[in-house]
Order: sequence, then structure tokens, then C-alpha cells
Amino acid sequence: MTAVIETEGLGKRYRARWALAGCTLSIPAGHVVGLVGPNGAGKTTLINLATGMLAPSAGTIEVLGGRPIAGPAQLARVGYLAQDAPLYAGLPVADHLRLGAHLNPGWDADMARRRVERLCLDHRQKAGTLSGGQRAQLALTLAVAKRPELLILDEPVASLDPLARREFLQDLMEAVAEQEVSVVLSSHLISDLERACDYVIVLVDSRVRVAGPVDDLLATHHLLSGPRRDPASLPGGLEVISASHTDVQTTLLVRTSGPVLDPVWTVSEVGLEDLVLAYMKQAARPAPRNNRRHLEVQK
Amino acid sequence: MIEFHLDGRSGVAPYLQLIHQVRQALRLGLLHKGDQLPKVKDVAAGLAINPNTVLKAYRELEYEGLAAARPGVGTFVTGTLDGGSLAAHGPLRRELQRWLTRARRAGLDDESIEALFASTFRSAREEDIA
Amino acid sequence: MIWLTWRQFRAQAITAAAALAAFAIVLAINEPSLSSMYDSSGLLTCHGDACAGLASTFLQNLSSGGGFLIPAASVYMILYFLGVLVILIAPAVTGVFWGAPLIARELEAGTFRLAWNQSVTRTRWLAVKLALIGVAAMAVTEAFSLIQAWWAAPIGKAIGLGGGASIFSEGRFGWFVFPTHGITPLGYAAFGFALGVTAGLLARRPIPAMAITLAIFAAVQFITPLWIRPHLFPTSRTVATIAAAGANVSLRANPKLTLTAGVVPGQPGAWIMSSEGVNAAGQPVSAIPASCEQAVSQALGSHRGTTMGPGSAALNKCVASHGIRVAESYQPASHYWPLQWSETGMFLALALVLAGYCFWRLNRRRS
Repeated sequence: MTAVIETEGLGKRYRARWALAGCTLSIPAGHVVGLVGPNGAGKTTLINLATGMLAPSAGTIEVLGGRPIAGPAQLARVGYLAQDAPLYAGLPVADHLRLGAHLNPGWDADMARRRVERLCLDHRQKAGTLSGGQRAQLALTLAVAKRPELLILDEPVASLDPLARREFLQDLMEAVAEQEVSVVLSSHLISDLERACDYVIVLVDSRVRVAGPVDDLLATHHLLSGPRRDPASLPGGLEVISASHTDVQTTLLVRTSGPVLDPVWTVSEVGLEDLVLAYMKQAARPAPRNNRRHLEVQK
Repeated sequence: MIEFHLDGRSGVAPYLQLIHQVRQALRLGLLHKGDQLPKVKDVAAGLAINPNTVLKAYRELEYEGLAAARPGVGTFVTGTLDGGSLAAHGPLRRELQRWLTRARRAGLDDESIEALFASTFRSAREEDIA
Repeated sequence: MIWLTWRQFRAQAITAAAALAAFAIVLAINEPSLSSMYDSSGLLTCHGDACAGLASTFLQNLSSGGGFLIPAASVYMILYFLGVLVILIAPAVTGVFWGAPLIARELEAGTFRLAWNQSVTRTRWLAVKLALIGVAAMAVTEAFSLIQAWWAAPIGKAIGLGGGASIFSEGRFGWFVFPTHGITPLGYAAFGFALGVTAGLLARRPIPAMAITLAIFAAVQFITPLWIRPHLFPTSRTVATIAAAGANVSLRANPKLTLTAGVVPGQPGAWIMSSEGVNAAGQPVSAIPASCEQAVSQALGSHRGTTMGPGSAALNKCVASHGIRVAESYQPASHYWPLQWSETGMFLALALVLAGYCFWRLNRRRS
């Protein structure tokens, strides 16, 4: 399978601070990729680098085998839904569709029309007066109806109410099923992504902490609980992600490729949310070298 | 056509839940041989889950011989959960009822019975895997 | 892309069309009376020196009959003034309202993330917008200019024949006439628009961009007639008698000698850029000769209370009798169109440089 996004040592610096550093990823095609991390971790920076909004300070990035926004053909293959679904407030829904039709050779007018009808959007209503969920849906329509190979969504449901959030994800999954498009979507909440994503990238403090298919991650991470033990005395091959101790008990979240055979441990599975949280905690533990009082990265 | 639902908090992987619901439907007679399973697109859209998850469930059912995919048309039920297992239900049910009576006489309340059952069930499954 | 440009520009285009229509209608209503006054002024059939006097009379008539809006102004004066004003500010208006928000509004609202991720490159997006709206700006400004020139044709002819009265005194080379007639409006419009777009790109917000555009454009409009236009072509110099140059000793800075020349002998329609008094040896003379005191006080007598104004014929003769002549630096009338092309070309080139910078900067991807 070819990679939809391939980065090598990718980094982006704003004056003294690296918003993203040492990012090496190879995101395979055909997946719905969840980009998770706390606010300010670098998710939007990575997305901006992938959509050509920013140029890298270090390393390289390739999208669908070419440089981002290398030309009209490259632009046509990538659909982008930016944070807060930017639309022209004064332009009605119908004119947004016309915009898509005029500016995209691969525009599927039927699909766009069907989606808008199903969403019960009034064609003459100006985009500025739509609700948050409707705006997100219209923006998704614009991104999807140009039939891209890769869809990049920056925190698409962050500001939506639960019903709008569910409807948006439903629509997105339907588009994925219909069109065979790879999706990268970012969120600071893993719960948004759990059902939809089959590939996860955890980004904390400007660095990628873990990345891989969800099935693999769940199969190789285990929660071990047993009598109080010093983690240093564990057998090799076990990478401890997080550990907590009481006076009698030790609980470890470990990453390993083989089975854990030591009978002293009770092995149980880890949910995706706990896995992500463990990596976030792991990243937070060492005293950060960069000044955490920074303002949010320029967007 | 059956309709799927997901329990987000059960801790069971979504694709396993889908498989389970198909098998349940077969057992209860909601699905018969030749019936079409819901389209991948519709399941993904209805539950807001990744289509690959649905595909994985359907592939597993195919592997178990319960369903078969017809390209361009859909996935159809090809097997049944044979009556043999239904026949075994009777004696198993009676054994279970006897065990429950003994558990109650030993002083276990409902929750203790469920906890005992669940932990035994889980460790038995893990022994199967390991 | 053409559709999108039009759709986003629609409201502004309609406003401009309405303004043009209103401008044309107002002037068209007045035009018959202006041309009938011209027809009855005798200027159509005059010859030679008689024309200047008839022309001044005509223009005097236009300036009289005040009480239109302002007590001292006639309807023709108001329309003339407003017409020129509109052409002067049109490039600034299009620069501020069409140019500055072009990129800035997209950046501020975040819609650039939508516009620049369709299947057109930023270069193409900007190229179509710059071309269509820039040409529109140039066309609108030039249209104002042509309409005004059509209405004011009689006035222009009268001034060209040597007449002058109140505000109808500047010829083709006049500081507010030159940039508002011919092809210079095109250059100014292109420059103003490109300036606005660049300011918007750099300021990233429409309001500061509009302010910057206005400030810089106003400065340029002020600087050009003072320091740029006079040096676009080498000036010619000639020395003539005070009488031949139709010069007047001005009392503005008495006793400093200030000579204001009216014509360049042998060069009708020339642009007189400066004039000064010189003695027989050709050196500048800075003061009115003392022996002309009497003539000065006589001249002052008729202008008691003012230090400005022309002297009298007696003062002129007195100064001339000392052998003082007037040295004029001027551009001949034949330089009019070369100057027009040069100034227009200069501003068009500036506009292209600014546009080129915008293309380069837009593709630098700093978000």
C-alpha cells in the first residue's frame, strides 16, 4: 500500500520554539487516521504542513507521493476541512456549491446536490447564518464532492454539540465507505475518534509518541497488575509506558510484541482511550525543556 | 434486514459486537439463509464507525462459513448455526439451573454470581488464547 | 475562477456602475447649457489674439451667477471641481475598497483555507482576481475621466485659447488636470489597486490595509507633481522680455522680485514650470529695483491690505526698463503625450512590480 502522507524528520519552528519536531511517519492509504493530542501539541501544525499552508523548517513531507500543493492536480487529490469550517459568510449555500464546481475539475455535482438535500440545507441561505453543525456539513460536502484521494480534517467536531457531532461522523463514514478515500482527522478528544479511526497517531508536546493501526496498538499494549515490583526488574522486551504503585500493588501499561507469560501478572486489555492517556502522561512526566507558557501556535 | 447497534462501553471490540449480533439474529430466527446483511456503507453511516470494521466483521463471518460476499451486490447469509448446538442447549440449560440453585444455597447473591461467572468466563477465554 | 471573482466582486461592481451612471447623468443634464454658452461666446469663429479675450469672457461668465450650493460658486464651478475631485480620488477609492480587502479579508476570515485548497493554485487565484478587478478599476477611473472630459470640453478649449478665470485657469499640464485627463488615470488606478492588494497581503487585516493604502497613495499623489513629473523629461530654458512673456511682477514677497510668466513666446500651450527675473547678464535678480518704489506703492495702492497679487502695468514697465527679463523653464506642448505615457508607464510598472511581489509572497507558505 502506498503512503498517503510520508514525513522524515519533519519539524516546524516559530522563532525559538519548535511546534513540531522530529516527526517521522508513514501513514498508509485506505485508513481513517486519528491524530490525537492535547491542544498545542502540534496537530494543526502537522496538518498545515500537509496541506501546504506552512513550509517545513526541517525535514521533508510528501503527500500522495508529491510535495503539498505542488500544482492543480495535487490540489485536486487532497480535500481539506480547516478548523471551524471556514465558509464565505455572505455567500449562500448554492453559491458555495457553484464555487466547488467552478474550481474543481473533479467535482461531483450530483453527490453534492444529494448531500445538501439530505442535510435539508436551504440553497438560498447565507452560510453565515447556518448552525455550527450545518456549516461543518457544508464544508465537508465541499471537501468530499471534489472526489479527493485524501481528506484532511482539522478538529472538525470540536465545537459541535453531541448530535451534530454524531451526524457529522456518520456522514464522514458514509463518504469513506462510498469513495475509498483516506482520511486524517485531528481531535483533542480520543472519544470522538474511537469508533471512526482504525489508525492512530498520538502527538504530545510537538512529538509523535506512538503511531500505528488501532488493532496492532491494542494487541501489543497490555495492562499488567500484580504485587508491588520495581519496573527495572522486569524481563526485557517489555516497554513500560506508564506505571503506578501502591504499597502492595503495581500496575503497569506495557508495550510488547510477545505474550506475557509470567504468571505473577494479571494481564488485561487496554482500551484506546486509556492507551492514549498513558502516552500523554508519559510525555508530561519529564520537566519540559520548552517553556510551556507559550501562546498558542500561530494558526 | 437486521439493524446493528453498538455498546460503546462494553469493552468488546465493535467488530466482535457485530459478529455477535449476526449470530444472535441467526439463532433467534431473525436471519435466514439467503437473507442479505446490511450494506457496509449503511452500517458505517448508521453507527458512525469505520467501514473497515464492518468489513472485518463480515470477513470473519465469511471465514466461519456463515456469510458470503457477492461483489457489487452485498453480503448474504449462507450458513446457519446448526441445530446441533440448539439441541445441546436443553441439557446445558438444566445443568446451569442446578448450578444456580447450588450457588444460591451457598449464600451468593446476584452480583456475586455474575462476578464469579464473568471472571471464570474470562480466564477460560484467556487460557484458550494463550 | 472568473465566476468566483465576479461573484465576490458583484456588489462593488454594481456600486461603481451606479456611481458612474449618476456621474454621467448629472453632467449630461448640465452639458447642453454649457455648450450653448460656448457656442454663443464667439469662440467658434474667433481668430488669433482676439480669442484669448473672448475665452476669458466666456470663462468669466461661467464663474458668475453664483449661489449654487455655495454663495460664491456657480453650478459650472461646482461641477468642474467635483468632477476633477472624483477622478483624483477614484484610484484611491478602488485601491482602498477593492484592493486592500482582496487578500486581507480572506486572511482575516480564514476563508483562504477554503479558497486556496480547491483545485486552483494561489497563483491562478491571484492572477485572475488581479487581472479582472484591476482592469475594472482602470476602466472605471478612465470612464470618469472621459465623461468629465466630454462635459468640460468647452472649458478646456477656452483655456487652451489663452483664457482663464477663477478655477478655470489650469491648462492640460495643470497639477490637477494632468493626472485626471488623458491616460494617466489608468496608471494611477492600476497603482492604487496594486498598492491596496499589497498592503492587504502584508497587513493581513482589511482596516489597517485600507488606512495604509490611503496614506501612501495620497503621499504619492502629492509628491508626483512636485518632484517627479517635472523631472521626467529634461526642461527647456528660455529668456524673454517681460512683455513678451506676458509676465507680471508679483507683490507676494515684496521687495523680493517674483515674476510669474504667462506664456512662452513661440511655444503656445507650453507648461511653464518656473520663471524668475534675470538681468542682462543672465544672472538672477532677487529684488525689485529701488527706483521702482513709486510704481510699487501705486500698485499696492490698488491692492491695499494685500501683499499678494499681480503688480500693475506700470510696475511691470518699470522693472523691464532696468533690463530685467524673465527666464522661464518649461516643457513644450509637444511633450504632453510623451509625459502622459511616461507617467502612466511609470505607475503601471510600479503596479506590476507590486503585483509580482504579491505573487512571490503569496507562494512563500507562511500561512
